[in-house]
Amino acid sequence: MLQIINKISFFKAILHKQGRVIPIVEILLLILLVITPLFVGDYLTVIITRMLILGLLAISFELCWGYSGIMTFGQGLFFGMGGYAVALFANKADFLQLWGVVPIGLIVGACASFLVAWLLLLGKRPPELIFLALGTLTFAYAAERLVAGWYWVGGGNGMSIFEYLRIGSFEVEPGRLFYYIVATILLLVYLACRLLVRSQFGLVLAGTRQNEKRLAFLGYKVQKFKALVFCFAGAIAGLGGSLYAHHEGFIGPGNVGIGISTMAVLYALFGGAGSLIGPIIGVIAIESISFTLSDIDAVRGYWPIILGVILLLVVTFKQDGLLGFVVTQRERIGSFGIIKSTESKSLENLHSLKNEKKDVSS
Amino acid sequence: MSLQTLESKMEEFVKVAFDIISFSCIMVLVVSGLAIIASLMGIFNFAHGEFVLLGAYTVYVFRELGMPEWSGMVAAPFLVGAFGLLLEMSIIKRFYKAAIAAMLATYAIGLIIRETIRGLIGGKFWAIEAPIEGVFLIGDSSFSIWRGIIIILTITIMLGCYLFLTKTNYGLKIRGAMENPSLARACGISTNKLYAFTFAFGAALAGLAGALVVPLYSLFAELGLRFLVQGFLAVMLGGAGTFEGPVLGSAMIGAMVPGFQWLRTEIPFISYLLSPVFAEVFVFITAIIIVKFRPQGLIQKGRI
Repeated sequence: MLQIINKISFFKAILHKQGRVIPIVEILLLILLVITPLFVGDYLTVIITRMLILGLLAISFELCWGYSGIMTFGQGLFFGMGGYAVALFANKADFLQLWGVVPIGLIVGACASFLVAWLLLLGKRPPELIFLALGTLTFAYAAERLVAGWYWVGGGNGMSIFEYLRIGSFEVEPGRLFYYIVATILLLVYLACRLLVRSQFGLVLAGTRQNEKRLAFLGYKVQKFKALVFCFAGAIAGLGGSLYAHHEGFIGPGNVGIGISTMAVLYALFGGAGSLIGPIIGVIAIESISFTLSDIDAVRGYWPIILGVILLLVVTFKQDGLLGFVVTQRERIGSFGIIKSTESKSLENLHSLKNEKKDVSS
Repeated sequence: MSLQTLESKMEEFVKVAFDIISFSCIMVLVVSGLAIIASLMGIFNFAHGEFVLLGAYTVYVFRELGMPEWSGMVAAPFLVGAFGLLLEMSIIKRFYKAAIAAMLATYAIGLIIRETIRGLIGGKFWAIEAPIEGVFLIGDSSFSIWRGIIIILTITIMLGCYLFLTKTNYGLKIRGAMENPSLARACGISTNKLYAFTFAFGAALAGLAGALVVPLYSLFAELGLRFLVQGFLAVMLGGAGTFEGPVLGSAMIGAMVPGFQWLRTEIPFISYLLSPVFAEVFVFITAIIIVKFRPQGLIQKGRI
């Protein structure tokens, strides 16, 4: 008997040791983040900078979906609005300072997401998941149509920013310096998010994801917590958009609507939803594939279709994404709460509740 | 007010009313398939808009093959329905127990269909003529015949669906499965078969809708997305889980589009605020705000 218990605790110890994979992945990526531009050329540095900016978008989606269970197809909206805001400042007011661009993106993203959260989340009754998903999709679609038809912001052609980002009077060209600025921002955002989801606040979020009703009965204003996270994520997406506009020197209707929102979903699910590092891996993986394939003419046209197939395959067969290959379910449970079983359970609860309601009413 | 201006006002009113009715009918046609699938299976089909697009595309393919448009319109519901059945049996079937995964999967399917068709039609807008052109006259005002046909067809199909669900044995089974799936299974009703059939039926309705409305709009890749968004708002406005709710909601959404257009011509101040682009966005925002203040929908507990 004692032997068995000993054996079990031994295995547990091994599992526990093996379970700490996420910090290793994080440190590896951090090292890569610091040294990569020293080894690759300027052209590749620019491409990787773009990936890092899209990483901000992926993190913002992950905060909504992986940590607070808000399925949002609208992160592209906040991303694009941040971009449009700084492009307007650059073109109409000739304002290009980095110390201004960052807060503009944050504030615009936060305000826009607060408006959306007020309309969709803070209602008289908690909204259903489908309602959130389609509501955000509606906003993204409406925004895309709006900017595409509005000539003051460039219409279908979008807006170009002709000058470089500035610090004081010094111009920051896309390249190594821009890379390190973006990398620092991404690192800060990542650490802030990590702090958030590991704090007591994050504990409430984890509880919400497990059993929203119970948390509500315990007295937590669940919807307000969700709205807070949504605003925070919106601010991050706005920041990403503002950097993106300056880095690419362009922002258009394609960066506002459904397309980029879909990409956000894809990054997070492909990389592995339910952990903060997963979406970053997803961005790097998908953008690398995209970059490789863009050289091959025969495949380039089919890239959006391939993305759809990837999304379908991930949803059908590998719901924990790329990170799921190295990170055990146990580690996720230990640090972030159960993902898979929560989903189906809460749904079952919902269904049974629905049926109960129906029974009562009849 | 002289008699003449009154008469012209009347005429204008009839025209607007006709516009509202025809738009509403289109929306009803599009939404009914979505609503049937959602209320029976608890799955919100994100690919529904793309089924509409597939229906429209079928007409285009038939025309390219040299056949008349109407043959494409007849074939569209069957082809899209068969496609839906195939999809249900291969993919959707796995997701009955997980509505969230189902949502993502249908979204992915929609993405694949949309991008494939975008590639096939080359990212352009294609105009497709209605099989029956021309106008008919009531008094002095003229109305498009094709829109009239859509109105009549919609009413016929909705009546048919209603009778099918309320009067036939199969409809009874569907309603039973809707009310309590496990009890239905215990009674020996194969819910899986029912689900497959319903999904195919919903897809067929979407295909028919797409085929019928494509002469009014043109064929482009985002056609389905637009209908998906409007259809969602219609279901939300009307109240999910009922048959009448979504129909009423889609009638309202359908009414808002020409309604705002009409307001533009009537009140000059608004015409500046409501350029066509803003008008469409305004419809979405109005609908979302109504849903915010009446989240249970207009019809709460209607049953067939």
